[in-house]
Amino acid sequence: MHNPSPLTPYPATVTKIVDETGDVKTFTVEFDDPEVMENFGNKPGQVAQLSVFGEGEATISITSAPTRGKFLEFSVRRVGRLTNVLHQIEVGQKIGVRGPYGNWFPYDKMKGKDLFFIGGGIALAPIRSLIDFALSDQYRKDFGKVEILYGARSYMDLCFKHDLFERWPKCPNTQVYTTLDRPEEGWDGHVGFVPNYVEEVNPSPKNKVAIICGPPIMIKFTLAAMEKLKFNDEQIITTLEMKMKCGIGKCGRCNIGSKYVCVDGPVFNLAQLKQLPPEF
Amino acid sequence: MDSRVVSKAQLPELLDKLARDYILVAPVHEEETVTLFKKVSGANEVQLDYTNSDVSPKGCLFPQTEKTISYTYTGDTLDMKEAAEPPKTALFGVRPCDIKSILALDPVFEGKFLDSYYLDKRKNTVIIGLSCSKVLSTCFCTAFNSGPCDGSGADLMFTELGDKYYVEVNTDKGSSLVEAYSQFFGKQDTEQLAKAKEEQAKKLEGQFTRKVDLEGVKQVLDENFELPYWDKVFKKCLGCGICTFVCPTCHCFDIFDYVTGEVSGDRFRCWDSCMFPDFTLMAGGHNPRPSKKERVRNRFMHKLKYHLDRYNLEGCVGCGRCISKCPVNIDITQIIKDLKEVGQNA
Amino acid sequence: MLDAIRKLREQAKKLLEEKKVEMVIGFGEGTELARTTPVFITSPEEVSALTWGPFCANNLVKYLTDYRNLQGNVAVVVKGCDSRSVNRLLTDNQIDRDKVVVLGVPCPGQLDWHLVAATVNPAAKLKGISDDGESFTVKTDAGDYKFDKKESMLHKCLVCENPNPIVSDMTVGKEQPVKNYENRFAEVTALEQLGTEEKSKYWDKQFSRCLRCYACRNVCTVCTCRTCVFDQMQPMWVSKRNNLSENTSFHLIRAFHVAGRCVDCGECDRVCPVDIPLRKLNQKILKDLGDLFDTPTPGSKADLTSPLGEFATGDPEEFM
Repeated sequence: MHNPSPLTPYPATVTKIVDETGDVKTFTVEFDDPEVMENFGNKPGQVAQLSVFGEGEATISITSAPTRGKFLEFSVRRVGRLTNVLHQIEVGQKIGVRGPYGNWFPYDKMKGKDLFFIGGGIALAPIRSLIDFALSDQYRKDFGKVEILYGARSYMDLCFKHDLFERWPKCPNTQVYTTLDRPEEGWDGHVGFVPNYVEEVNPSPKNKVAIICGPPIMIKFTLAAMEKLKFNDEQIITTLEMKMKCGIGKCGRCNIGSKYVCVDGPVFNLAQLKQLPPEF
Repeated sequence: MDSRVVSKAQLPELLDKLARDYILVAPVHEEETVTLFKKVSGANEVQLDYTNSDVSPKGCLFPQTEKTISYTYTGDTLDMKEAAEPPKTALFGVRPCDIKSILALDPVFEGKFLDSYYLDKRKNTVIIGLSCSKVLSTCFCTAFNSGPCDGSGADLMFTELGDKYYVEVNTDKGSSLVEAYSQFFGKQDTEQLAKAKEEQAKKLEGQFTRKVDLEGVKQVLDENFELPYWDKVFKKCLGCGICTFVCPTCHCFDIFDYVTGEVSGDRFRCWDSCMFPDFTLMAGGHNPRPSKKERVRNRFMHKLKYHLDRYNLEGCVGCGRCISKCPVNIDITQIIKDLKEVGQNA
Repeated sequence: MLDAIRKLREQAKKLLEEKKVEMVIGFGEGTELARTTPVFITSPEEVSALTWGPFCANNLVKYLTDYRNLQGNVAVVVKGCDSRSVNRLLTDNQIDRDKVVVLGVPCPGQLDWHLVAATVNPAAKLKGISDDGESFTVKTDAGDYKFDKKESMLHKCLVCENPNPIVSDMTVGKEQPVKNYENRFAEVTALEQLGTEEKSKYWDKQFSRCLRCYACRNVCTVCTCRTCVFDQMQPMWVSKRNNLSENTSFHLIRAFHVAGRCVDCGECDRVCPVDIPLRKLNQKILKDLGDLFDTPTPGSKADLTSPLGEFATGDPEEFM
């Protein structure tokens, strides 16, 4: 018998495109064969490989929770060759999707706990799957208070505005804190960098898990703030980004020490991260 | 274990038959100084008297360039074609180090995600090993519990002894081949030949000049990621891909599309090298291994630690190709020796 | 040769002690009897690592661009052929002459180490090498081995133009006789005699086994582009597929990129893991450039510009 090919994508169609910011678009993708979605089994935090035929593949985190419906959402920032091409895609166009790859946020271990999400810029995308998962009707009761602290350089750069200002604040026992790096005309919300805002909000580490994702500089200062707030390393969870090609632990490039981010990650808690060589 | 004997005079006929019934891949003298594993049409092309091929035969199972899918996309319909099942292949003349390397590659392509490209070929390939008759100054397979006549991992293992080949039948695949070509495989004197083979192995083992002792090396690497030692090694590295491309255990690859027509194209995977800067360079410009230092360290860590961590198997088999081919004489056995010393001085 | 090694170490030590240079790049003992390895020496105590002889094929000038931003100066051990690279890098403004100290070594020719390794007892330890004119004697604890120069030197050494460095701040060792050669391009001429189809067959066979490891490019002192055209993704001029078409593109593009700048140091040829005779490709261009523009080997004079990089009214224009 012939083994199924692990590198062959499933055909899928782009059904909706939202311009999040000047360089971020969110694509809603549906598999051409509905059975594929039934068996896809993506969990919050996992990634997939998107194919643009003739151009190649890119690893993108699945930004939608499986609880949202029979589709996948991918938020893509235009940074390189393939993401440039992705940005030129129109609704109705076919792409390829393979996955889901990698581990996921350990939501089983988060049950009964408060969740404190911290994101900056595009990096709300990889944790949005867990936010939506925790806020879904099905799972909301499993978690305590859900707080989301999110910042970007300017109002223009805020992703998921509908979620931030409409959808999430209406969820029970949920609070959204949004901040901009600099003051801006028409913005009467908080102004300041994410790490400082975290300190201002002053979350208590008691029975809480912090899920952080952002640019390296934000992570660095936020981790310092979390330490001040007495969060321990197991309570801090993040997700890493590395160059990946196969997604299945074979092509060799996404290793950090002996770990492959595509199969052993991308989700790590800070205690695990500290065990890895600083090569990411 | 079963064993047989093939007369030297009959080997060409056996190879000719194999070439008819299988895709026969064997060592070929490409140039006076270059031996490569290639598809051959008969025994006359096969080079039996070679020490070690310039490039390992891993390409037979993991080709340097391999099409994964062909697609046509007209805008309305998307059609993808996968690779056909690989043909029955006989890989003949593989040296013990290269046989061992296939065992090191197996778990990479197995696991949760079965790599059909490799595994289908592996399944359809019968590996016929050939014991070494010479030891090169760069050889050090004995450091990895192997030896010049070690056939473990091969389906059949041939050892040249006088006017005969002593053949060890190691697997069911090997024994089916023996059965199918029974007219070539005799049973006489096998016990005597087995002894002669052991003697030959011992004699050859005595000829190894590189004494490599791995004891404690992994521990040094387990305990130290940053070592001033790496600063000494990387400076001379040219950042080329020789070591990784001639290496029988390197398995890194890239995936990319190649447009063949207005609505059609192919997707390929092809060997990539961790020595190349763009191997880890991300779209935004960040590179987790930005300089030769990190890249050189990563390669040796992979060979001497990471592969062991992941698969509990050595990531190096001591074929010596990287030593022989490196333009600036970066020598893994020297690195092993130095790391050992680092550990002892710590 | 021992004398040259002693003097080399003395000079290196002095340079480092007097802080005239921050680093000395030279040849050190290798891990094989017939090999050396590049060494980067930064303190006077380490100079005993320096060695010299017919096992020093590497062109160390390659490393100068790695260290051009070092605060201090760098000294580099340079053979005659390598010294053409120094000139070439200077012409290309890749290095600052004031920051480089050239330790020139007149060269008796370089042995092909693979050939030596195939002859010498692998367990032997090197005791010394002597230059006997027509041959080298490699002295080991397992006996002496004589290597006829004509049979065992690198091909480039058989028609060496510059046994003595053209650029040198301090020359160490005895000056070598300069020879005149009937036909420096004999190998190319032989290829030229072939018909188009035969030529194509010859190169197809060579290029089809290329691994695209890029060692020929990475070792080349003339290859100084920040982003090589072969690494470029946008547009991808040559894909990573390994096949005859892409491999041929790679080699021909490369040959043309270095045309008029290739100093014929032969390093591409030496490092190729599958023995593609790359020097023949570069030599063909070198020969044609000589025939068309009467120009010497690039780098053989200071400030020698490439005939392909400038316009002169006397240029042949038979294509117009």
